[in-house]
Formats: sequence, C-alpha cells, structure tokens
Amino acid sequence: MKRQPLLLCAFALLLCASLPAQNRKAAPLVFTPQWTAQAQFAGYYVAKEKGFYDEEGVDVVITHPNVTQSAIDRIRADRSHATTLQLVQAMKIMDEGIPLVNLLQTSMNSAFEFISRREVNPVGQKGAKVAVWTGFTDMVKAVAQDLNMDCQWIPAASSVALFVAGAVDASAAMTYNEHYQIRQAGFILEETAIFRFGENGYNIQEDGLYVTRDYYNKHKDQADKFARASRRGWEYAATHPEEALDIVMAYVDRNHIATNRILQQLMLKEILKLQLDPDSGVRAFTLRPDMVQQACDLLLRCGIIRKPVTLTDLSR
Amino acid sequence: MRNLTRSLSGRLSLWIVLFAVAIFIATLGYMYFVLQKAVRREAVNGATRELENTVLRVNVILEDVELLADNLEARIYKDLDNPDKMMEYSRDIVVNNSFLNGCSISFEPYFYPSKGKYYSCYSNNNGRTVYTQQEGNEQYQYFYLDWYLLPKLLHQPCWTEPYTDQEESDDATMDATMSVSYCKPLIGNDGSYVGTLSLDISLEWLSETISAVKAYPNSYSIVVSRGGTYLVHPDNHKLFYQTIFTSQLINPDPELWNLGQAMLAWDDGMQVIKVNGQSNFVFYKPLMTTGWSVGIVCPESDIFGGFHRLQNVVIAIVILGLLLMFVVFSRIIWQQLDPLRTLAIQARIIASGDFTAKLADTRRTDEIGVLSQSFNYMQESLVNYIQELTSTTAKKERIEGELQIARNIQMSLVPNVFPPFPDRKDIDLYAFMSPAKEVGGDLYEYFIQDDKLHFCIGDVSGKGVPASLFMAITLSQFRTLSHQGLPPSEVARQINDVISEKNDQLMFVTLFIGQLDLKTGRLEFCNCGHNPPILLKEKPEFMECLPNTPIGVCAGWAFEGQVLENIGSTPILLYTDGLNEAENSRHEELGNDRVLAILGQEPYTDAGALVQRLRKAVAAHVGTAEPSDDLTLLCLSLRR
Repeated sequence: MKRQPLLLCAFALLLCASLPAQNRKAAPLVFTPQWTAQAQFAGYYVAKEKGFYDEEGVDVVITHPNVTQSAIDRIRADRSHATTLQLVQAMKIMDEGIPLVNLLQTSMNSAFEFISRREVNPVGQKGAKVAVWTGFTDMVKAVAQDLNMDCQWIPAASSVALFVAGAVDASAAMTYNEHYQIRQAGFILEETAIFRFGENGYNIQEDGLYVTRDYYNKHKDQADKFARASRRGWEYAATHPEEALDIVMAYVDRNHIATNRILQQLMLKEILKLQLDPDSGVRAFTLRPDMVQQACDLLLRCGIIRKPVTLTDLSR
Repeated sequence: MRNLTRSLSGRLSLWIVLFAVAIFIATLGYMYFVLQKAVRREAVNGATRELENTVLRVNVILEDVELLADNLEARIYKDLDNPDKMMEYSRDIVVNNSFLNGCSISFEPYFYPSKGKYYSCYSNNNGRTVYTQQEGNEQYQYFYLDWYLLPKLLHQPCWTEPYTDQEESDDATMDATMSVSYCKPLIGNDGSYVGTLSLDISLEWLSETISAVKAYPNSYSIVVSRGGTYLVHPDNHKLFYQTIFTSQLINPDPELWNLGQAMLAWDDGMQVIKVNGQSNFVFYKPLMTTGWSVGIVCPESDIFGGFHRLQNVVIAIVILGLLLMFVVFSRIIWQQLDPLRTLAIQARIIASGDFTAKLADTRRTDEIGVLSQSFNYMQESLVNYIQELTSTTAKKERIEGELQIARNIQMSLVPNVFPPFPDRKDIDLYAFMSPAKEVGGDLYEYFIQDDKLHFCIGDVSGKGVPASLFMAITLSQFRTLSHQGLPPSEVARQINDVISEKNDQLMFVTLFIGQLDLKTGRLEFCNCGHNPPILLKEKPEFMECLPNTPIGVCAGWAFEGQVLENIGSTPILLYTDGLNEAENSRHEELGNDRVLAILGQEPYTDAGALVQRLRKAVAAHVGTAEPSDDLTLLCLSLRR
C-alpha cells in the first residue's frame, strides 16, 4: 500500500524507487521540477505548451517526481537534466560536492512562513510542536536556529493535516501553497499568527532553474536556449495568467493531483508576485548578490554548509 | 377603466371587489404566515429525523470499525513481544471483515531491533485477494504520515482526512480509491510511544449510504471532513479536492462561511444558504468521533414547493373569484338599476316638454320603487303645476293687456299734444309724464278759460292701479271744479272733501293747483303738500309755498291759497318727486340742489327743451336702476 495524502505528499517526493529509463536516443532535455504539477511551475508548462522550447530548437520533456523518485535523485542518476531548487537547497547540494549552474532565477523573494494555530507569534512559542516538511527543511531550521527558536520539530508528509487536526501548535508553510490550504480548511489567519521570513530579515530568493555544472559544460547551447525559453514562458504567464492557469490545470488533471483551480489560481498569483524584485519591482530573473551572500552567511552560521558558495560558483 | 367607473354598477362592483381584495389579502397573508411556519417546522423535523437516521446508519459501521480496533489493540498488547504475531493479526482482521480495506500495525523506528528501522505490518484487501507485507522502507517512511502521526501527537484515536489508497503500480493513481483510516495510538507500559494501529475503510460505502438519503426530490447530502474537505458531494469536481471554504478564498460568502464553521465546530443545526442564487436549507449533524459533519441540502423550492403550489392555486382561485364576483355584481347591480335608467330616459322626455309621457309601472317596494313612485307623483304634480302656470300666465297676460289699456287710458287722461295752445303765442307750456309701472299715480292738467290758464300737478300716494284710479278721480274733480272758476284754494278744499269722504284706503294726493292770468301775469295758487315749483330765474329758486296738507287726509280741511301778482316771463317748473328723489342703483337721490344746478347750467329757451333736458339728466342719474317713482314734469312761461 502507498497511502498518498491529498493535501500534501512531500514525503513521497523525497523517497525514491526506480523509474523506467528515458529514451536517450532523442537526447531531449529532461526537466523535472521539484514538486508535483502545480502553478509553482506555470512558466515551464507555458513555455512547453506555447511552443517556446520548440522555437528555440530545444526538445524539452517535462516529468514530475513521484513516490518512487525525487527530482534531485533523478539528476544524480542522470535521468533528468534540469530541475528547480531553492537557493539554499542548491548551495547545500553544491556543498555536498555536486556543482550546479543557475540557469534562471525565478524567485526574487522568500515564500517561507511559520503559521501558529493560536493568535500568537509562532516564533515565540516555547516548546511548541512545529510541523515541517520531511525534505528541504534547511532554510526553516537555519532561520529557527538563527532566531533561537525553542520548538519541537514534527517532520510530516502533510503538515497541513496535522495543523488542521490540532496535532501541532504551528507549521512551516509556503505563502503560495500551505498558507492557502490552511485557509481553505476554514482558518482565519491573523497577522499576529504569521511569521513571514521575507518580512523579518530573511528575504532570500528561492526557486531557480538548475543543471549540473557537468551537464552545462557539455550542453551549454541547449541549456541556454532552455533558460531563455523558460523565461519567456514565465513572462507570458505573467501577462496571460488565465491562459497559464488553464495550462497548469491541464497538467494537474493529467497527473491526478489532488488540488483545485482556485488553489492553483491563488498559487500562480502569489508566485508571480514573488518574482518581482523587492527593490526595482521588475521581473529580473537573476540571482541577487546580496541575497546569495545572505543565504551563504546563514547556512555557514548554522553549520549547514562547510564552505562558502558564491554567486560566481552558481553562475553560468 | 374610465368607462368602468363611469357607471354606478361598475363603481359599486369595483368597490365591493376592492373591499373583498383587502379581506382576502389580510386572510391569505395571515394564512401564509402561519402555514409557512408550520411547513418550515415540519421540514426541520422531517429533515432532522432523516439526518438522525442517516447518522445512526453510518455510526453503526464506524462503531464496528472502532470496536474492531479496540479488540485488536488488546490482542496486540498481549503479544507485543512477538512481532511476527502482528502480521497474523493484521491479516486476520482484514480477511474476517470484508468492509475493511486494510489494516496496518506499525511501530516506531527500531522498536523491534530484530526488525530494523521499519516494521509496519500491513494487510490489504484489493477486492480480489488479501495480501500482507511489511511495507516500511527507505521509500516509504510511514512514521511521517498523518495516519501514524495524528494519534501519536493527539494521544487519542482519530480518523484521518481522506487519502487515495492505491496499489503499487506506475499508474496507481488511476486505480486509486478514496479511503479513510481509524487510527489508535499504541502506548507501552512505560508510557513511551509504541506505534499506531490503523484500520482502513473505503469512502464509497459512506457516499452510497449518505447519498441514498433523499429528504426532498432535489435535496442532496454532503459530508465534510475535519478540514472541511467534501467527502460526499454530488459535484465530483468538489469531491475530495475542495473544501467547503475553497470558493470563499476568492469569493467570500458569509452564509457558507458560517455553515462551514458550524459544521467544523461539530454543531448540530440548520442554516439557510444561497446556492446559485437559490435559497437552500442545510441541516447538519456531526458524525460520532470522526470529526466529520453530515449535511442535507434541501432547496427551499422543494420544501415549500407544495406550499407554494397551493398558494398559487389559492391566489388563482381568489383572482378568478374576484373577477367573477365583479362580473356577477356588475350584472346584478345593472339589472337592479335598470328602472333608474328607464326613469332617467323618461325624465329626459318629460324635461323636453312631453309631460304626458307614460312612466314605467314598477311594483317594487324598495328604494328604487319608492323613487319611481315619487317620480310618478312628481310628474303628476308637474303636470298640475304647468297647467296652473299656463292658466296664471294667461291671467297675467290678460292683466298685463288690461294694464296696458289702462296705461293708454291714463295717458290719454292728461293732455299730451304739444304745443297745447297753437293759436296762442303768449303761453309756452310743455309737460311729460312717465309712470314707474304700467300705470302711475302722477297727474297734471291744464286748460285755458277766460284768458286764465288753469293747471295742476299732483302725486298720489303709492303706485300702480290704486294710485292711477285715485289720480283719475282727482283729475276729474280738478277739471270739474276748475271749470267753475273757483280759486285754487277752494278747488283744493272741495276736492279734498269729495275724496276724503270715501277714502277707505286712506290714500292721499299732493297737489299744486294754479290759475295764471295770461293778461296780467297774476298767479294764484294753492300748494297741497306738493313739491314747491321752481322759478326759473337767472338763478333758479323754489317758490315760497304755505305748508298745506295733502288732499284726502281729512274731510273739511281748509286750504290756504297764495298769489304772485305778476310772474312776468319767469318760467315755472312743476314736477313730482320722481325728479328730485330719482334713485340710482346705489339708492342715491338726484336731490334738490342738483336739480337746481342742472336747471342753472343752461339758459332757458323753451319749455319743451327744458323738460327734455331734465328727462335726460334723470335718465343719466338713474342709469340701469329700475325707476323708483313716477316722473312728471310741467313747465310753463308767459311770452311777452
């Protein structure tokens, strides 16, 4: 039996099994975003469906992680060539010895937040049980450590289910995902119950498009075209959100994702908002040196990475 | 409508119908209010009963699951030292209870050192076979899943949110069925957490059981989980993927929000919400220990459908009844008022002059009958009156004719040919008399005898025929006595004696009698209470007259005469009070002063011109007013 909770299936995404081998003869670029199909990856779906990849002359195949294999595992196994990662995830993977290249930086702001079940600052609850994902918790734990949070982490596949049932006092959440899932469960989220990383000195960029340095060196032209078309996809999604949402929902339905159009609509809106540079207000699609430096400092300070990762290390 | 309200029958019928409408509205309104409350109460009772029965049916199954879990828990604790027994227990319970999809007895990492990090004994009934296996591994770290964590964190049994239960295959999601698990915490003797016991059931039976509930033709049932997720809903798009609050993330709906909160708060009750613009009654009740809530959504149109149909039929009957009432009443009133219309036509015929027109004979004794009889009586009275009027008019015309003759006679009694003495150049005389009515009481007379001009002017008290007769007598007496050559005072005395003798009517006459010697100019006169004549000197003035009484007041009265030895050529104006007392419409008299002023305005030329001038002055003063008195003017003068 594999019981897949409807609200979230993070756990399954990080656990791997074998996947049927991809057809290598066509040598397509296999892109696997780090999560199941949702509006978080709308720009890539739009680029694919609107033919932007074809126009660039790059054959992109989009596959999603499932219960058997996560995206980064597919990269490691060379079954996928590109994925999306948060900046701190990328830094940690690089620290572990896999050089990565940031092809495109979509996120310009942090979407992390802590949400409390009670109308109190979730960071200040001593001994509180805080639900976190079973993967990519580095950023959450780094910030908690930096803030000297006194809490008990509850790793869970579905933090929202625990939160709704009252099994935890607070939960880590993304502003574009769990935030709306919790509100969808009938919760009124007061401002006092939310601790947004971005508003509290931890506004660090998240999602970016990555390939291994090795792959980039071998397929530089293809990777550059892929990045260019992907950016075009995001820009189109920003100007045609309804059409982008239709495309997202087609992917959602095709992959039998337990979500709904309204959640995806809100997610797309929030994702597009997070793509605006906090200073210039434009979609820059680049890593900001200050944020890279801040992420590096934070991870070093918390012992998550052992040596600095610079903007140069990440750049093409 | 104007035509309708023009007739009495239409107006009466309209008033009756309007009054009936008011009564019907009040009655139906009250009935509507009471019946609606009753129907609503009955709907609430019916739906609540239905809901309770449904909840009972569902609870029986849920209780079975919980009872099985309790029994199994006891056996697990008994053989907790024997990990292999757990496989057996897991399998047995699924094999022996076909309504269970699966059973998992899962333990904390390394709880059994011999079994390693993962030990989860899981049996599954896929509908064909029951297979049992240890399912925990690096790819399936069960202790991070909510079914495992919830009882551990909550320290009590609980039901999970729905999840897809799928077989291991690449296209697993295609075969997935929605399931929920009842999970119990397993606690060791030392209080440490041992693991989680989980029994899985499909949600299909729940959907089938609850969807079968049909309180009304278009009603449907819903079940929401603790997180608001629709576990049962007729709309597949909402089922499992949406919560009762999903749509409110972009379109807040306070009614739906309150309903969702009430259901999540495990309340028991009823609320009214709008779905697609239509009002729906939602009856809801919690489902035992699951944290779920069952609701029956009943469209208001269903609940009140029968009532509204009845209401529409009643309103239709009432409207038809009122229309019928209007038509019937109009007809009846029309018929009842028919004699009135006939009467109106006949009245018009009578009014046009046909007084003999035959009135309809009615035997009715009501108001219309009485009116008809009264009209009959009126017609008869009118005929009689007209006949009398005709007769009276004829009499009046005759009298008027006689009066006209009398007038002619009266006017012929006084001399009215001018100049009166064409063969005499020494006398200028002109007279005028105009009765206020057909005949009057003024008089004048003159004649020449023995070179003496005998003249008089008088005014009988009162007017009309009596005065005219009195005038004729006086005139006759004057003529007779004056011709005897008696002096004016004697003439006056004798006239007075004759008249006073048989004067039962107590009438009298003012009289001025004069004898003018045409040769000498000597004027002898006697004024019997009459207006003093005016001497038309350069400045006109009243003659000095003795105050004798009028004639006819008392027999035997002596009258004193006067003499003016020679009047010369001074004209004398004699007149009655119709001159100086002539009234206009404001009852203002012409007055002596004004008479004198008029006379002094122009120099005297001849008697005729003077009289005509005075007539015009009087006419100008009186204007459109009726003549208040007889007017007589006599002017004379000697020509030298």
